[in-house]
This record gives sequence, C-alpha cells and structure tokens, in this order.
Amino acid sequence: MTDAWLPGFEADDSLAAAVARALPQLAQRRQRLDARAWSNASVPATLLELARLRMAQLLGAARGRPGGELELRTAAVAAGLDADKAAHVSSWPTDPRFTEAERAGLGLAEQFLIDAKGVRDEDVAAVRDALGDRGAVAFTVALALLEGELRAAAMLGLVTKQAT
Amino acid sequence: VTVRPRIPVEGLGADAGFRGGVLRLEPELCEAFLSYYGTLWSRGVLDHTAKEIARIRNARLVDCGY
Repeated sequence: MTDAWLPGFEADDSLAAAVARALPQLAQRRQRLDARAWSNASVPATLLELARLRMAQLLGAARGRPGGELELRTAAVAAGLDADKAAHVSSWPTDPRFTEAERAGLGLAEQFLIDAKGVRDEDVAAVRDALGDRGAVAFTVALALLEGELRAAAMLGLVTKQAT
Repeated sequence: VTVRPRIPVEGLGADAGFRGGVLRLEPELCEAFLSYYGTLWSRGVLDHTAKEIARIRNARLVDCGY
C-alpha cells in the first residue's frame, strides 16, 4: 500500500499534514497535545522516539513505502536519539546499548501495542521505577498517541513522521 | 489483567477512571488531552452516533469496560 486512499491526500503526506488540511482545529489541538507529551520533564524524548520506532516496526507502519523506516530513524535522530540505538532498536532486549530505563519503556511499549491486557504489574513497576509516577502516566499517554498515529497512518497510506 | 490501579493517586479509588484519576498527576498533559479529545468528539463531519458505535465496538473488542 503506497498510495493514499483519501482524496486530496498525497502518498508522501504525513498524517499530521493531511489532518491539518482537512481538520485544522483538530490538528492544532493534537499538535499541542504532542508538544506536551514530548516536552515532559519526566520522560526523555529519546525514549519516546525509541518507542515510536519499535511500535512502527511491529505494526509494519514504515514498510508501506520505500525508505519508510529510514525516514522514521532520521526523524528520531534529529530529535536527539543516538543513531546506533535507532538502528538497533529491535534488539533492545539483549543489546547492551540500551539502558535499564529504555528496556523498561520498550518492554511496556511492545506489550501495550500487542496486548494491553497482558501488561503485568512488574512491567508498569519497572517504568515507574525509571520515570516516576508522573513519568509513567505521561509515557502511557504518549504510547496511546503513538499507537493511534501509527495505525491511522498505516491504514490511510500516509507517512508517519516525527510529530513534534 | 488487573482491576487495581497500578499507579496510585492519593484520595482516588479504583473507579476514578483514566481522566479523573491518574491523568490528574499530569495536569498540563491532562488539559491538552481533554482539549484534543473534546474536539475530536464534538466537532467534525462524522455524527456523534457513529463515533459512539465505534467506541463501544472497539471497547468490546479489547474487553474494556470504559
């Protein structure tokens, strides 16, 4: 699926750009929400970018277009993520590049995406240990935003780019 | 599966829900979320009934009591 399905949308559109044209007020409020989530003092933006990359991989959200994953990686690096980590995010469970906090976040991100009801107490506890309670709440909200964005972009044949 | 809140909020019980519960720990994020969600729900070309049907169906699919 490389063509956008909706009229007026181009295949190289980002979801944010497409929504901004069709629903400007909604896009503005979403942009504000993303900005709040991505500038949260308790949650490193690099962790959110790792989550975005891993969730996109699991959903195949970047594979609908040539170079899609590279685009996501480039956006993540521009947001401050180490390029090596961006390239190796799928090996986070065993790769020594990743910190305990990043492992906790990526573990929760994967389980949230695959089966939220399968999240265990210890998955949430690990994120609370790493980010604190406020950070754990903010991270959970960010995961929900990422999941919706990635699924919507994949479904509509649009590009997912860094939202903030 | 758990029915216990995994992030406790002082003074709130298990039935406080998401918006009235843990999201209170992050007031600015909560406000931005409600503003976005409210717009999504109350504006646009899709009628409210269709949105409710989608919400209820999605909730059933993931066994969510919300």
